[in-house]
Amino acid sequence: MAEVEHDGGYGGRCPPYSFLDESLADGYTNLVMPANLFQFASVTKTYGHVRALDDLSLTVPTGAIGLLGPNGSGKTTMIRTLLGLIPVDRGSGEVLGMDFRHRQLDIRRDVGFAPEDECLFPHVQGVEFVAYAGELVGMSGGDALQRAHEVLDYVGLGEARYRKVESYSTGMKQRLKLASAIVHDPQLVILDEPTNGMDPAGRNEVLELARDLAHNKGINLLFSSHILPDVEAVCDYVVVLGRGKLLAQGAIQELKQTHEQSFDVRLKSDSAAFTQHLAKMGCVAEPRGELLRVRIPADKSPQCLWEAAAAERVQIRHLLPQRSTLEEVFLNAVERP
Amino acid sequence: MPIFDQGYQHWSGHLAGHAWRWLAITRRGVRTALQSWPVRLALVLSWIPALVLTFVLCMWGLVERQSETIATLRPFLMGMLGRPVVAGPLEYRADIWTLCFHYFLAWELWFSMILVLVVGPNLISQDLRYNALPLYFSRPLRRIDYFLGKLGVIVGIIGLALIVPSTIAYIAGLLFSLDITILRDTYRVLLAAVVYGLVIAFSAGLLILALSSISRNSRYISLMWLGIWMITGTVSYILVWVAQEQRLREGHFGRHGWFSEQFLTTEIDFEKTDWRSLISYTGNLQRIEERLLGTNSAWRKLFDIAPPNTRGSLLHRMLYTQHPWYWSAGVLLVLAALSACTLHFTVKSLDRLK
Repeated sequence: MAEVEHDGGYGGRCPPYSFLDESLADGYTNLVMPANLFQFASVTKTYGHVRALDDLSLTVPTGAIGLLGPNGSGKTTMIRTLLGLIPVDRGSGEVLGMDFRHRQLDIRRDVGFAPEDECLFPHVQGVEFVAYAGELVGMSGGDALQRAHEVLDYVGLGEARYRKVESYSTGMKQRLKLASAIVHDPQLVILDEPTNGMDPAGRNEVLELARDLAHNKGINLLFSSHILPDVEAVCDYVVVLGRGKLLAQGAIQELKQTHEQSFDVRLKSDSAAFTQHLAKMGCVAEPRGELLRVRIPADKSPQCLWEAAAAERVQIRHLLPQRSTLEEVFLNAVERP
Repeated sequence: MPIFDQGYQHWSGHLAGHAWRWLAITRRGVRTALQSWPVRLALVLSWIPALVLTFVLCMWGLVERQSETIATLRPFLMGMLGRPVVAGPLEYRADIWTLCFHYFLAWELWFSMILVLVVGPNLISQDLRYNALPLYFSRPLRRIDYFLGKLGVIVGIIGLALIVPSTIAYIAGLLFSLDITILRDTYRVLLAAVVYGLVIAFSAGLLILALSSISRNSRYISLMWLGIWMITGTVSYILVWVAQEQRLREGHFGRHGWFSEQFLTTEIDFEKTDWRSLISYTGNLQRIEERLLGTNSAWRKLFDIAPPNTRGSLLHRMLYTQHPWYWSAGVLLVLAALSACTLHFTVKSLDRLK
């Protein structure tokens, strides 16, 4: 498992809501954050013969968290467990410092959830829908309505607030769901596949909002998505699940580690002779688009690349150590037996 | 307006506890229902019997006071109510109020069924159709809060159609009586009307919620509700009528048997052990109403002073509500239990959360 030592996923940056002295936290006084966003200890959940969560143990720091995994990996079960919607067969855990086996309603009060489904009933104005979501959490009618106007402005639906929700586009519906998830100012927002079926412009808007919430507004985010670039655009930290087990977790920048013996090279001229020369030196070179990915043996240094270029009289225009993409991290984690 | 222009402000207001969370669902449900014109129309129409009741109670107040305003109506009233009633109205006050409310509640039962038909089918069905259950269950709501909230919509609407008008009519009747003893004589009538309204609301509410939870298509639910309301009533009526006709033939009463005091008296005795009336859903509700109001006692009292030629019609009004009231209460309780079980098994918060 590619578990990485981390510092909360912020590279030394303190999340903006970790106020220890409440007197300094004007407007944030209800946000006394626990050290971890959630933690599972040997959690097992089965549906018949299927183990949706299999002795899952993990601790996830506060911040923007990406939840990755193929279909049937246990993502949905994990979200249900986080929301305190299902009893687990074994194990224990906490969300925002609250035991998810005993304090389900308290957890759901402090968590905002935007499900993948549309879940918007018709003949309701956008502002009514969001205010209703606030009332269901326990806000008074007046507070909920005022807050609904504020969050609709924030998500960019200010001018569409009095339109019926059935007239909204897919992107607007996603933003409306996001608005109803944050109307009560939760400590954690769970977004389940928020960019599914959206056009690029709408997708960017939702990603921008999610990123802004997590990085500038002090709201923790759990972002479940199949679209890796989306996760990478929003999150600092990922959890990869597979068959109910934890396959990998860590800060994205650290998971995408550099490879010391593998380099991406771009030449000015034809690379055939350069490749042959490298092969004689024991290096393996494979074309990757415009680049050449060169793996050098452990006993050689990158200096051999310059030597081969000098020998074949070719000019190296680009030379960088290979860095894993999130996709590679994901595939490596999922395909590992 | 571009995104982020308004920024995001944290909110540090007060969140209410869990106890009254269902009220948010009820409030919104009632508001939504009242935005629909069929509901508004049905409500307005349901207030017509209340206006009539108010008028009749006010008239009765004038009768009690032997007011000159209705002197010209006295012959008509004597023909309709009987001389002893008009001559000594105070003695029959509770019975007349009971029978006035009985007729009012019979109409309101019909309007309640209509209102449930218009409001009820969408209550849960719409949430299933639009996958809106996660909106509720991902928030600090239990399933019981959700069901209570939805049930509250039916209670609220039936309250507007039955309980509120009953109370207003009662107060108007009191005001026209100008006699404080009327409170002592008639408070049971108002109490019975309110309790009966709640019985209808909870029974019909649970039933329509259960129906609403078994299909995403509200038209099917409307049809099922019509079936429960009309078909059970019709079947019950036909079965009772067939049995009565058979006894009429066996007793050689001929066509005039329906007005024969002897035949009707034996019919009333026979119905005390007849199960056929239990088939009708509204028949069971009416039996509870009879029990709460004590309608049969009021009819009996009028029967005792009625001229012989009108006694048959009075006995006729006592048919269909003679079986033990607890049989009907049992049927309604079983239906409520079945409805609760249906809700328990059909609305699973987890299954719907994708």
